[in-house]
Amino acid sequence: MNTLRTLAAAAATLLLPVGIAAAGDFPSQPVEVVTHASAGGGTDTTARTLLIRARKELGVDAFVQIKKGGGGAVAMSYASGKPADGHTLMAITPTHLITMARGRAPIGIDDVKGVVRSTDDPIIVVAQKTTGITSIEELVSASAASPIKWGGTQAGGIDHIAAMTFAKKSGAKVAYVPFDGGGAIITNLMGGNIQAAGLNYGEAVDGIESGDFVPLAVMSSTRLAALPDTPTLEEVGIQGANFSTVRGIIVMTETPDERVAVLEKKLLSAMKHGTFQAYLTGIGLDASSVGGAEAWNAQIREMYDNIYVALGELGLRK
Amino acid sequence: MEIVIGGLMEILQPQTLLLICAGTLVGVLVGALPGLSSSMAVALLLPFTIYLDPIPAIAMLAALYCAGTFGGSITAILINAPGAPPAAATAFDGYPLAKNGEAGRALGMAAASSVVGGIFSLFVLILAAPLLANIAYKFGPPEYFALTVFGLSMLASISGQSAVKNLIGGAFGVLLATVGVDLTTGVERFTFGVPELYEGIGFIPVLIGLFAMAELLDQAGQKDRPLERFGMSALKLPTVEDFRRVWKTILRSSGIGTFVGILPAEGSTVAAMIGYNEAKRWSKNKANFGKGEIEGVAGPEAANNAATGGSMVPTLALGIPGSATAAVILGGLQIHGLRPGPYLFENQPNLLYAIFFAMLIANLVFLGFGLLGAKHFSRISLIPRQYLWPTVFCLCVVGAYGAGQTLTDVYIMLIAGFVGYFLNRAGFSPAPIIMGLVLGHLVENSLAQSMILFDQNAWLFFNRPIALAFFALAALSIASTPLGRLIKIRRRVAADRLAHGNE
Repeated sequence: MNTLRTLAAAAATLLLPVGIAAAGDFPSQPVEVVTHASAGGGTDTTARTLLIRARKELGVDAFVQIKKGGGGAVAMSYASGKPADGHTLMAITPTHLITMARGRAPIGIDDVKGVVRSTDDPIIVVAQKTTGITSIEELVSASAASPIKWGGTQAGGIDHIAAMTFAKKSGAKVAYVPFDGGGAIITNLMGGNIQAAGLNYGEAVDGIESGDFVPLAVMSSTRLAALPDTPTLEEVGIQGANFSTVRGIIVMTETPDERVAVLEKKLLSAMKHGTFQAYLTGIGLDASSVGGAEAWNAQIREMYDNIYVALGELGLRK
Repeated sequence: MEIVIGGLMEILQPQTLLLICAGTLVGVLVGALPGLSSSMAVALLLPFTIYLDPIPAIAMLAALYCAGTFGGSITAILINAPGAPPAAATAFDGYPLAKNGEAGRALGMAAASSVVGGIFSLFVLILAAPLLANIAYKFGPPEYFALTVFGLSMLASISGQSAVKNLIGGAFGVLLATVGVDLTTGVERFTFGVPELYEGIGFIPVLIGLFAMAELLDQAGQKDRPLERFGMSALKLPTVEDFRRVWKTILRSSGIGTFVGILPAEGSTVAAMIGYNEAKRWSKNKANFGKGEIEGVAGPEAANNAATGGSMVPTLALGIPGSATAAVILGGLQIHGLRPGPYLFENQPNLLYAIFFAMLIANLVFLGFGLLGAKHFSRISLIPRQYLWPTVFCLCVVGAYGAGQTLTDVYIMLIAGFVGYFLNRAGFSPAPIIMGLVLGHLVENSLAQSMILFDQNAWLFFNRPIALAFFALAALSIASTPLGRLIKIRRRVAADRLAHGNE
């Protein structure tokens, strides 16, 4: 099926006026976006939605190349093995940064540079309704008696790092309970098996609307447009615990800067299009999710540093 | 009522109906082919459903599941080669009937009792699943741990002859489940530095390897023996008199099958065996069993099809597979972003009814296929092996690659195939290994999660009534075999005493 789609897309590209492809010498061949997660997941869907318009903007075919395994290690080793000519892009998430920071990746943070950020989905601290906790201060004081049971994904993943960094900065006592995925966290939070969790807006929205989940704070420097009454962690006096399920496109550092500039410009205008904006709205985000190379690079760096420190404290780094 | 109609509307789309019919047809064909089981067919079909909408995709898989379980009886009756393990018991009396020239009667009875059993279990599904789901949000890690322990406690009896071998197989499956990064500690285990193994060993490639690839290797080693076939001038359907004789058996087996299906880890094969035994126990014609007794066909066939609906209950309501095939369907739900469990019915109210109607339609469609087409289906078994098995090999590779789109999964499938081949020869059945692999993750993670929730105090398990109930069931299921033996010995002693007293 994928092959069919790729063929169809390739055929469509051949039909494009030759002038467009020949106008610049870059890009001159199909662009591939290397991802690390299964078809149908968040990263895959984001990349595919981005490529719908990016094909037209770039004037060449573009496709998603799934290289699963090793928390992005397989994808990173594949992408770093291709020529750094701007035709191989990689979609990265905090998972890749964690794999790098744990020393399990074939490349390091200095080997990559950002092109664009496509989604920025900050983690929201939510509490279960029956706990009676309505603010971060109450969460911290409630945890003094017995540690707050905080649900999240895989130990050593971004949820774990976010929860433990929050615990350290706020002084709350947190017992982190890892679950298989977002669905299990939500079910257990609804059922009252856990008392708090760090969730993305899309995961939390049903529970917040039904009143089962109480949003306490957003792990971001600005409030969420969808939750105007929920403060940021910085507003309640907790610095350096901003984490987000962020996805974006990077290339290898050796890629020429002028090509990166072309990619940045074209991908940004592809993401301005209604197709991608509708997708963002669908997952509870807005246009502020999208960012250019400068902001994206700074964010990668900041998150990497936070992750590196947190992993060291958790004893999960080599 | 609205959601019932909603579910029906989802199914009454031309494309969906077509997919259900296709699923049923493929299911009957695959079920009839010895070595190709419905769990394998569902596993092979799964990657191709990724591009469908969730409801048509799941409807097709569910239809295939129902039909595959029936299909096995065709070859069991006609050539004494059960097309799938659940049909093994059907061959006991079905084949003698066919030899007596009553193949039509046996096939007709198999189809009719399958349909009754299947539909009976569907009504249980539609009633029990939401009830179970209502209490299911109370299912936290401690309850899942207890439930999984209960599921694992049945490993010994899941299939084959040797309880010890089943336990070894189950333990091997649990061991396979530990490969990868541990969920609760983030530590790598048994990855040997291979990044492809960080996320663990996939369940589908192992399943395809153990079932299909291993059978292929086994078949490759056999001489192509000519297959016997019986002339069937006309498909004589069972008479009213036959039905009067077997309706009790059918109903009893429907109940047994549904109940056994609901139990995690127990599937159609066990249901059929129990159904056959009970049919014999309660029959007036015990002596005729094994020689061509129509009740001996109705008993296992009603039971094994009733187990299909039954096994969907825990699959949908709890996310715990009720059988090997249901485990694959569970994977299918997850691929489509549907998380089986208490919230499934809230988030997708139509889905349960859609599955209900899909399986209902499948039951009616294969009744038609079974009655009209049995004669033609029996020819599948005449496809020369040199064409059949290479085709199966291609399907194995495609199926293993398709789910994760990585060649690693193909290698895992091939390795699992070779391992499975030798295990089969040594008398191990693949089913406990699969069950261990599926439940291994759950049992380990839910225990670790429970201990965090309990602040490392295991005694707090006693505060969870549902968990305690499952622990009690697990203890009962482990104790039942030795206990049963003890009771039997006591009875015999008592009978001996009685006999002596009479002397």
